[in-house]
Amino acid sequence: MLDLIELGLFVTLLVVGFFAGSIVEKRHYASIRKREREYADVLAYAVRFPPDRVTRQRAFLVHGTVVISSDYFKTFVAGLRNLFGGRVRTYETLMERARREAMLRLKHDARRQGAKLVICVRFETTTISTGWAASIEVFAFGTALIPDHDPALSFPSRPVAAA
Amino acid sequence: MKLENRLPAEGINSSDENPLKELAWLVAGGLAAVFLLVFTVSLAAQWLAPRIPYKYEAKLAATLPPFATTPDNEVGRAVQKELQGIADRLAAQMQLPSEMVLRIGYRDEATVNAFATLGGQVVFFRGLLTRLESEDALAMVMSHELAHLKYRHASAALGRGVAIGVILSVISSDLGSSAAGNVLSTAGLATLLSFNRDQERDADDAALHALHAEYGHIGGAVDLFNVMQTLPGGKRESSSAAVELLRTHPLTQSRVNSVAIWASNNGAATDWPRRPLPPAIASLRGVNKP
Repeated sequence: MLDLIELGLFVTLLVVGFFAGSIVEKRHYASIRKREREYADVLAYAVRFPPDRVTRQRAFLVHGTVVISSDYFKTFVAGLRNLFGGRVRTYETLMERARREAMLRLKHDARRQGAKLVICVRFETTTISTGWAASIEVFAFGTALIPDHDPALSFPSRPVAAA
Repeated sequence: MKLENRLPAEGINSSDENPLKELAWLVAGGLAAVFLLVFTVSLAAQWLAPRIPYKYEAKLAATLPPFATTPDNEVGRAVQKELQGIADRLAAQMQLPSEMVLRIGYRDEATVNAFATLGGQVVFFRGLLTRLESEDALAMVMSHELAHLKYRHASAALGRGVAIGVILSVISSDLGSSAAGNVLSTAGLATLLSFNRDQERDADDAALHALHAEYGHIGGAVDLFNVMQTLPGGKRESSSAAVELLRTHPLTQSRVNSVAIWASNNGAATDWPRRPLPPAIASLRGVNKP
């Protein structure tokens, strides 16, 4: 009897995890795609140096961070996957959503401060284990640049040899 | 350098495949692997146990606290003596391992049960003895437990338990605290129970042979299973296979049926007069302690 209750509980959790997880994921992807178009004017690159090295730039750190949890279903499937090996598909969508969301938050931070260009974008990730379900944190950071065209403030970025 | 901003590509880093498909494959594969492993190990343990000389089992049993202890009161000791007498008579019909020394214990507890365990020990509970109406029914229980000893089921169960415990702990620790480990462990346990049911059937069969040889009929078996069906819980037994799967003993109805089949196959009578219970055991029926 106790076994049946345990089995019932497990199946319930699995079904709830599957449906709730699917709905959450679908909505998250829709929101991500919509905002990616909205933030298309904020450029973000992995390059280390400003593309325009002539204009003086104001530079500052921008970042976006997100913590996202797996659901019961994803964790269960991933647990079984650990036995056989192969692509952990259920976690791939989780990680992809987290990275894209972190990038969007980084762009939001940049736009909030008036920047339209972020260079040297990097990602960090942390696993937050909470019992049976895994959570991950993805942290995106980069250097936002704002070209400074005010001639009064302008000065050569490197010493110029006297003519 | 010309900089552009493009939307992230879709479908490269994740797949659209329905995760239920993956789940189905993984569950099927996982269960098949666990069943196969547990089944193989169980079979190996069951095959090996009766081949290990009995003296090793006796040595192991000697290191454990004895199950068949002597009761601390006069009535208990009288009951134990009568049980021992019945056991010794039946054992003569059963070709037990020659070095096995039978020790029959009695416990003054309301539990309706009896069990056989390592080192030739059988333990009876008062709850069961007060429900039996003839020596024949008691002899059926006794020969059933002696059959477990004959086939060395206790050491088979022990070896199997240890081996499977190792397998399941490896699976569980491999999967950490995840639910997948629990599910696979439960599946492994279900396989274990099905082996126990086979052992019970074997024990019933050997018990019927001994009963027939000693008493000339197998009425005791019929009486016993009739009593078992009147027990609380006996009535609730349904004949669905799902219920049977989670039980360690075959359902009483299927045991009754196999007794009838055995009787007709072996030309054994079931309606001969029964022998009365020995006096000390019979006197327990007056005691109605909880």
